[in-house]
Amino acid sequence: MKNNTFGQYFPGNSLLHRMDPRMKLIVTILYIVMIFCAKNVLSFAFLLLLTVFLILISRISVRIVLRSIRPIIFIVLFTVVFNIFLTGGTGEPLAAFWIFEIYREGIVRAILMALRVIILITGTGVLLTYTTSPIALADAIESLLGPLKKIHVPVHEFAMMMTIALRFIPTLIEETDRIMSALKARGADFSNGSIVKRVKALIPILIPLFVSAFKRAEELAVAMECRCYRGGEGRTKLHVLHYRFSDFVWLFFFVLFLVSVFLINAFSPIKIAY
Amino acid sequence: MSFIEAEHVSFTYDDGTPESVPALRDMTLTIEEREYVAVLGHNGSGKSTFAKLLNLILLPTEGKLSVAGHTVSEEMSEDDVFAVRRQVGMVFQNPDNQMVATTVEEDVAFGPENLGIPHPELAERVSGALECVGMSAFARHAPHQLSGGQKQRVAIAGIIAMMPRCIVFDESTAMLDPVGRSEVMATMEKLNREQGITIIHITHYMEEAARANRIIVINDGELFMDGTPREVFSRAEELRSVGLELTQSGELIHELRLAGMADLPNDCLTEDECVEAILRAYRARNGGAS
Amino acid sequence: MKNILELSHVSYLYSEKTPFEMQALHDVSVGFEEGCVTGIIGHTGSGKSTLVQMLNGLLRPSEGQVLLNGEDIWRKPKEITSVRYRVGLVMQYPEYQLFDETVRADIGFAPRNMGLSEKETEERVREAAEFVGLSESLLDKSPFDLSGGQKRRAAIAGVLAMRPEVLVLDEPAAGLDPRGRQEILGRLQEYRRERRASVIFVSHSMEDMAHYCDRLLVLNHGEVLMQGTVSEIFCDAEKIRSAGLFVPQVATVADRLRRAGVPLPEGLCTVESVSRELLSLLGKGGNAQ
Repeated sequence: MKNNTFGQYFPGNSLLHRMDPRMKLIVTILYIVMIFCAKNVLSFAFLLLLTVFLILISRISVRIVLRSIRPIIFIVLFTVVFNIFLTGGTGEPLAAFWIFEIYREGIVRAILMALRVIILITGTGVLLTYTTSPIALADAIESLLGPLKKIHVPVHEFAMMMTIALRFIPTLIEETDRIMSALKARGADFSNGSIVKRVKALIPILIPLFVSAFKRAEELAVAMECRCYRGGEGRTKLHVLHYRFSDFVWLFFFVLFLVSVFLINAFSPIKIAY
Repeated sequence: MSFIEAEHVSFTYDDGTPESVPALRDMTLTIEEREYVAVLGHNGSGKSTFAKLLNLILLPTEGKLSVAGHTVSEEMSEDDVFAVRRQVGMVFQNPDNQMVATTVEEDVAFGPENLGIPHPELAERVSGALECVGMSAFARHAPHQLSGGQKQRVAIAGIIAMMPRCIVFDESTAMLDPVGRSEVMATMEKLNREQGITIIHITHYMEEAARANRIIVINDGELFMDGTPREVFSRAEELRSVGLELTQSGELIHELRLAGMADLPNDCLTEDECVEAILRAYRARNGGAS
Repeated sequence: MKNILELSHVSYLYSEKTPFEMQALHDVSVGFEEGCVTGIIGHTGSGKSTLVQMLNGLLRPSEGQVLLNGEDIWRKPKEITSVRYRVGLVMQYPEYQLFDETVRADIGFAPRNMGLSEKETEERVREAAEFVGLSESLLDKSPFDLSGGQKRRAAIAGVLAMRPEVLVLDEPAAGLDPRGRQEILGRLQEYRRERRASVIFVSHSMEDMAHYCDRLLVLNHGEVLMQGTVSEIFCDAEKIRSAGLFVPQVATVADRLRRAGVPLPEGLCTVESVSRELLSLLGKGGNAQ
C-alpha cells in the first residue's frame, strides 16, 4: 500500500498523458455520447477500432487495460444472458426450450451490448483515469465549472475538498493498515467467520479511523487558517492550465468521430441493428 | 513597541461554562523582533495555548495582547486578523496534518496563493522557499513520499513563502528521528541568523531549548521562569519540580555538585563547557599528585 | 544467555512482484536475549517498524525464519494468533487505536479474543490497568475522554493484558514530556523484572536507550549495522553517526574527558555511570574537601 501512486493513474508521457485535462474531460464526454449513439454493427466496429487505437497510443499495457474489465464481468454476462433470451425477433427462432426462444437478433444484440460496456470501460480508462493524475482532474473540473461560480455554486470549495481528499487517501490507508495491525496483534481476526462476524470486526477499525480523521481535519483546518486561507476569493494559482494547439486537434477529431457515428448509423449498408 | 506584548493575558477553554478549564493565567511578557525563544513545559502546561494566541487561532479571554503592532480583540476586522497571521507563521507537530496539496511545490504555494501573490513572484517565492530549506529537488514529490524531517522542512518552506516576521514551532521536532530533528533545528537557526526572523520554539527536548537565546518555562498555565538558558538551567531543582530536566551535560554537573564537588560552576550548558569544567576540577585535584 | 526470539536470514519485500517492490529488510540475523531489555535504533526507513512487525507474525518474511523459543513461528500459519498472544506488540502512537465504549472493554479486547472467561478477563484488565497506573475510576470512562498520556497507558495495558512473554513496543515514549517518558519506560523495566519477561522497544532518543536498555540493535538501510550491549554500541560513535544517529551527549563528554587524560573506562553512556566513575576517580585523587 506504500505505492508511489494510488488510484489507477499510471504516470507516463504519451499523447494522451499530455492532453490538457479539461480537454480530456470534454473528449471523454464526446466519446461516451458516441458509444450510446452507436446503433448498428458498422458503427460499433468503428468504435471498437477507435478504442483499440486509443489503448495503443496511451502506451498503457494491454494487460492492465483488460484487467479493468474484471470487476464488471458480471454485468457483462448478465447483459449477454438477458439480451439473448429476452430479445424477440422476426423469422424462425434459432433454438427454443421451455418458455425461451433464441433469435438471431438476440445474439447480435447481446454481443453489441457486451461490446458497448467493454469499450466504455476501457476507453474512458485510457482517456481519463489511467492517464490523468487525480489532482489534474480536480483542477480540470474546477476550471470547467468555473462559470458556475457566477450563480453561487461553490466550485472552489468543491475542488478544494477533492484536493484534500486526494491528499489524505494515502495517509488514511496507512492509518487503516496500522489500526488493523494493532488489532491483529491483540488477536483480532478479519479473515475467518461468518459475514456478520466479519462486519462486526470492522467496527474497531472504523471508530479509531473516524476519530483520527476528525482530529486530522481539525488540525488541518487550523493549519490552513494559519496560512491565511479564506476561501477562493482573491486567490492566485501556482499552476494555471493552458490549452495547446494539439488539444484542439484532439477536439476536432472527436467531433469528427461523433459525426461519423451519426452518419454510419444513418447510411449503413449493413442493416443489422437492434 | 515590542513584536509581542502580553499583559496579564489569560485564556480559558469553554469560558463561562461548567467545563471551563483555565489554560493560561496572567501571563505578562514581551518578545522582541529577531529573538530566538524556546518555550518549555510539561504536557498540558499551556504551551500550545500560548502558541495559538500568537497567531489568533485563539483570542485571550482576559488581558491585553498585541502582536506585530495589532492589538488583539474580538472586534478586530478580518483583514487585521489575516494581517497578523501572515506575519506570524506556525509549524505544527504532526507534519501530515498541515500539508494541503498533493505535491510539495503546490503545498508551499498554498500560503502565498491565499495572499493573492501574482505571477511571476509566486513561483519565485516557492522556489526561493524550497531552496532555503534545501528541498528544491523534491518540488514535484507527493507528501507521502517524504520522511518526517523532509515534510517538516516543506511545512517551514510553506511558511517562509509567506514572508513572515516570526515563526512559531509548536513541538515541530517531537515526531522526528535524530536526523530529522537536527535538519529542522538547523533550518530554524538559519532563518533566525540570516533573515532575522523571530523564532519561538516549543519543545520537550532540553538540548534543543539550550540552543535558544532565551527560555520561557510555563507551568500549569503560569509563567514559571523567563531568562537565558544559563539562568534557567542553573535552577535544576525548580525545573525538576515542574517535570522538566536539564541537558545531559547539565545533569552530570548537577550530580557531581550534589556529591560535593562544589567548585564546579552551576550553569554549564553545552558539552564544551561541561568537559572544560570537569577537566579543570580534575586537574586541580590531581595537580599535586601527578 | 538463551535467545527468546531470533531472526535468521530474514528479508522482506513490500509490494512484492509489482513495479513498486521495495526491500525493507535484507538478510537480517539477530537474537533477542531472554530477560533483557533490547533497544532498536535506526533512522526513518531503516526497517525498524518492519522488523518489529516480524516479531509477532504481523508480517511474514519473504525469506528466512522467525524463531520463538527456537521454533519457527510460521510452521503452522493458522496458529499465528497464538504467537501474537505470546509476543505482545504495541504499535506507534497506540492511543489512536482505542475503539471500545469503555477503557475496561478496550483493555479486555485481547483477553476476550483469547477465549478467557469474563472473570479472568476482568482480573487481567484490572491487573494491566494497575500496572500502567490507571486508577479504577477511569476504567468505566470512554477512552476518548482520557488525557493524552492516559490514553497511551490504556493502549499499552491492552497489550499487557495478554501477559506476553515478550513485550515489543514501537516508540512507546514518542511525543511525551520528560516525566511521561520516564514513567512509561520505567514501567517497561518493571514489567521485565516482575514477569521475567523480555522487552524490545524502538526509540529515537539515544539518552533513553542508554538509560533503559541492556542491549541494542542498530539498523541501517534494512540491514543490521551493529548489535551488542549498550556500552559496546555507544563506544563506536563514528559508526553510530554513519547510520544517521547520535550517541548520548554524556557519552561524548566521557569520551572527550578520556582523550584529555582522565582515566575513565570506555563505554560510559549514562549520567549515573559517568558521575559515579568521576567521583570515585576524584575521590582517589585526594582532596574532595
